[in-house]
Amino acid sequence: MYGRKAFQLVKELASGEKGQLTPYNSDLFDQVTAECSQHHLELQSLIRKIQEEGLDVQTTRNSEHYGSLIHHLSLVRNKRCLMAYVYNRAEIIRSLIWKVGPVLPQEIQERLSHTEEEYFKRHSAALQSYMSRLDLDLTVDMVPPKDPYIQVRVLDDIGVVLSDDKTTNFARHSMHFLKRTDAEQFISRGLMEELTD
Amino acid sequence: MTSESASTPGIDGDYEALISTTDVELLKRAWRNEKAAPEILHFESALIQRIRGQIQLMEETVEEFSGSGIDPLSVSLYQMDLDRTQYLLRSYLRIRLQKIEKYTFHISNNSEVQSRLSGQEKGFARRCNEDLERHLEESVLSKLPDNYRDILKQSLISEENDMVPEPHLDTFVVCKSRRFLGPFQLDGSDELLEMKPDDLCIIHYKSIRERVQEGEIDLV
Repeated sequence: MYGRKAFQLVKELASGEKGQLTPYNSDLFDQVTAECSQHHLELQSLIRKIQEEGLDVQTTRNSEHYGSLIHHLSLVRNKRCLMAYVYNRAEIIRSLIWKVGPVLPQEIQERLSHTEEEYFKRHSAALQSYMSRLDLDLTVDMVPPKDPYIQVRVLDDIGVVLSDDKTTNFARHSMHFLKRTDAEQFISRGLMEELTD
Repeated sequence: MTSESASTPGIDGDYEALISTTDVELLKRAWRNEKAAPEILHFESALIQRIRGQIQLMEETVEEFSGSGIDPLSVSLYQMDLDRTQYLLRSYLRIRLQKIEKYTFHISNNSEVQSRLSGQEKGFARRCNEDLERHLEESVLSKLPDNYRDILKQSLISEENDMVPEPHLDTFVVCKSRRFLGPFQLDGSDELLEMKPDDLCIIHYKSIRERVQEGEIDLV
């Protein structure tokens, strides 16, 4: 049936967990583009047929006309599905820049197509250049601050750190009560986690 | 005694009026509007410039205080105030960026919307548009038959751009008026609405859009 494959592609997108990427389905994607080319061929041959009969393509309403219309509409629908697939994935990819930063972990990178990887790189560069022209880092302060101090647990041996006027030994698994601004740099590097009640 | 107590409400009123026009309050209002509005609003360039100056000043003050042995409690209060302002500023700019990312094709085709962006945002929007266009071009459009390769139209025979995601202006928003608004006509309908200050209203964004842009109505 026409359009079934494109529907499956979009359904894959819709049934995935929100904000999570499913692996890029290049197989199915290529099948749909192949279907598009097939539609186009049939469309052209029908139109040729109309022309050979010496009829005007714009006004003729015979079976060839309606046949070609079906091929045209199926093609347009396939295009919309393909675009939706890539467009919505691009939206998730952009949100990843905010969530995980400019370098993607291996397991996410594997799910992207080649052009998607390129897009991710280009878009984070665009974002980076905006922030440097603004001279303000927008990737910190993602949640509204409640308390200037937070409780953290150290996840990795950081060692002795000098902050303000005192030195603290951030040994692994130790817990500390720190200024949020001091702790944030460690948290974003995955060296500490915030403890919440 | 009586004269004193009589004058207090006046002072309180003045104080509240004064507080509500500090730059931080104005930023909070701009942030709230931006957050709730489905479309991108005018960039508050003068306000943002003032806020950034104030943040710098506050940072210097906090640094100076914490070096000079002033009561740590008041230093941490200053710090907290500073943190909140910085969050507001960053979040405000972030929300705008996300709207630019989301409606990049709509923005690049519409000079009225473009005029609402700051210079830097315009640069970002342009790159955003180029990148996404290129990505869609390479992933999808180049694989389609010739007549179906347009990025804004479904096919060559579409008369207008029918593939551009646009903000939904008829979504509902919660809003309140800053002052008494006499019966006014809602945009796009013949209904009349009267709003008292601080009355909460749930209404189509579309129908109060211009009043939000003029600053008469705030979104919540």
